[in-house]
Amino acid sequence: MKTIVIGVGNPILKDDAVGVHVARELKKFVKDSNIEIDEAYTGGMNLLDLILGFDKAIIADSFIGEKEGEIRKLTINDISSSRSLNPHGLTLIESLEMAKRLGETKIPKEIIFYVIILNEYPSEFGEELSAKVGSAIPKAVKMILEELSNKK
Amino acid sequence: MKTVTIDPITRLEGHGKISIFLNSEGNVENAYLQIPELRGFERFAQGRRAEDMPQITSRICGVCPVAHHFASTKALDDAFNVKPPEAAKKLRELMYCGYIIYDHILHFYYLGGPDFIVGPDAPPAKRNILGVIEKTGLEIGKEVIKHRAYGQKITSILGGKATHPVCGLPGGISKSLNKDETKDIKNMADSCVEFSKNSLKIFEDIVLKNKEYVDLIKSDPYQLKTYNMGLVDNENKVNFYDGLIRVTDQKGKEFVKFDVKDYCKLIEERVEEWSYMKFPYLKDIGWKGLKDGIESGIYRVGPLGRLNASEGMATPLANAEYKKMYETLGGKPVNSTLAFHWARLIELMNVSERAKELINDPEITSTKIKNPVGEPGEGFGVVEAARGTLIHHYKLDNKALIKKANLIVATTNNAGAISMSIRDAAKGVIKKGKIEQGLLNKVEMAFRAYDPCFACATHSLPGGMPLQIKIYNEDRKLIHKIQR
Repeated sequence: MKTIVIGVGNPILKDDAVGVHVARELKKFVKDSNIEIDEAYTGGMNLLDLILGFDKAIIADSFIGEKEGEIRKLTINDISSSRSLNPHGLTLIESLEMAKRLGETKIPKEIIFYVIILNEYPSEFGEELSAKVGSAIPKAVKMILEELSNKK
Repeated sequence: MKTVTIDPITRLEGHGKISIFLNSEGNVENAYLQIPELRGFERFAQGRRAEDMPQITSRICGVCPVAHHFASTKALDDAFNVKPPEAAKKLRELMYCGYIIYDHILHFYYLGGPDFIVGPDAPPAKRNILGVIEKTGLEIGKEVIKHRAYGQKITSILGGKATHPVCGLPGGISKSLNKDETKDIKNMADSCVEFSKNSLKIFEDIVLKNKEYVDLIKSDPYQLKTYNMGLVDNENKVNFYDGLIRVTDQKGKEFVKFDVKDYCKLIEERVEEWSYMKFPYLKDIGWKGLKDGIESGIYRVGPLGRLNASEGMATPLANAEYKKMYETLGGKPVNSTLAFHWARLIELMNVSERAKELINDPEITSTKIKNPVGEPGEGFGVVEAARGTLIHHYKLDNKALIKKANLIVATTNNAGAISMSIRDAAKGVIKKGKIEQGLLNKVEMAFRAYDPCFACATHSLPGGMPLQIKIYNEDRKLIHKIQR
C-alpha cells in the first residue's frame, strides 16, 4: 500500500506553517519506501494533484478553533463541502467531488486529516511558531506515526 | 447609518469582509472590500540573501508563485546589473505562459465562468465546475482538466515543481530544455491553442448568442470608467513577461508609459483607516475617494485592464478575438467589469499561441542560459500576474543582502475598483432599505470577475465558510442575517 503524508501551510507565515513543520519532523522517523512525505504551500486542486495515485493520504494542516494547540483527527466526512467564497479557492473537497464526477480513478481510498487548532490565522510574516502551537508538533508526529504503523 | 456586512469572503475568518453602508434613506452609500493585508514582509526580508528572494517570495502566495518568482528574478537581474541571455528570457517567458494557461483556465471554468455558463440566476450550488460540466458535458470537463494540467506541466518541466519554482537566477535560468521535453511541450502548446479556440466558441455560444447575458455585460451597475494599466511590448501589444507599463485614460488614449523604475514617481498608495489595504492610484491625477472618471486616479489591472491599456495582442488568433470584443461591446475602452471574463479567454489564446511560438523557436534549446552577475545594487522587476501588474523592488547592500524590499501585488492595484464594483452591484439590489433576492449573486459576480486573490495563507481545510450578509440598524445592532 502506498501512502503519502503532506504537510500543508505557508512556510513563511508563522503558525500557518505548522503542518509543514509536522511533515519535516516526520521525515526524520519514516524510512519506509512505501511512504512518501511531502510539503504543500498550496491547497485545493494543487493539493489533489499531489495525492492522486496513492492508496492513502494523510494531510497535516491547521484548523481554526478554540483550543489552540489541540490536535484532531478528521475524515473527509467530517468536513463540510460548502462553497468557499475565496474566488481563487476551490477547496480540496470540491476538487475531490469534481474528480470523482469525471471518473478519476487515482483518488486515494482513504484520506485522513490531522489538524492542529489555531485561534486565528496569522497576518504577519515570519518563520517562528508560537510556543503553544509549536509544542503540538511532537504529539502530532506521534499520532501520525501510529496511524502509519497500524494500517500499513 | 445602516451597515450591511457580507462576511467572510475568504477563509481567513475575521479578516476579509464586504461592508455595505446605507444612507438615511436606506440606499447604498458606499461599499468596501476589506482584504487581509499580510504585514511585516519588509522586516522579514531584511538581511536575507538576495538570491533567495525568488524562492521566498514564491511562497507568499499559494495561487501565484510563478508570478512572484519571476518578478523577483527580474528585480535581481536589475539589482545585479545583468541581462539574461536571449534563450533564458525565452525559457522564462515559456514557463510564464504555462502559469497563465493553468491560472486562467482555473478561473474561467471553475471560479468565475460558472456565473455565465451555468447562469447568473442559477442556485449557488450549481454555479461551480460541477454545474459547468452538467451544462457543457463530461467531455468538455475532461478537456478542462487536461489543459489545466498541461499548463502546470509546462511550468514544472521548466521550473521544478509547478507550485514551487526554483529555476530563476539573476542573469538567467538554471535549466535548459532537452529534446523529449521540447517535443512534449510542443504537443501540449498545440493542444492548448485548440482548447482556447473551443473555449472561445463556448463563450460565443453560451454568452454572446444570449441577448440577456450581453445586456447584463453592458448594463450600468457593471460599468466603471477608470484608467487602465498593463505591460506592453514595443508595439503596445499585451505582454505578460516584459515591457513598459502603459496607462490609458477613459477615452483609450495613452496617459503615460513608463519603466518600472519610475513606479514610485507615478503610483502613490492611499491608506484608509477602515482597511488594512493600501489603495494605489495615479499620483499625477490624485486621490479623489472611491470614484471613477478622468479626475480620479484609480485604475484597473488584470485581463480587461491589460487589453484596454494595449493596442492589441501580439498573436494572430488572440488579436482577431481582441478586435471582435471591442466591436461587440461598443469600442475602446470596454468598461464593463463582466468583460473581464471574455478578456481572460482572449489572453488564454494569446499565451497558448505564444507558448507555441516559443517552443518552435530554435533558440529555445540553447544551453547559453546564464550570464555572470555584476555588483549588487537596487533592482526593480515587473510582470503581469494573472490578476494584474506585480512589482518587486529591492535594495541590496554590498554583500548582496536585502536592505529594503517593497512589493505591489496585483489585487492591491485593483482594490479601489473592486470596492466600487461591489457598491454599484449592491445599489441595483438594495433600494430604500429593501434588500432584493439576488444580492449575494450580484455582489459575488462583481468581485469575482477581477479574480482577486485574498488569502496568502494556504490550507486544505475547512471547506470554506458560508457566505453571510449581516444587516445592522442605525445603532449597528444586528437585525437580519442572510446566509448561504
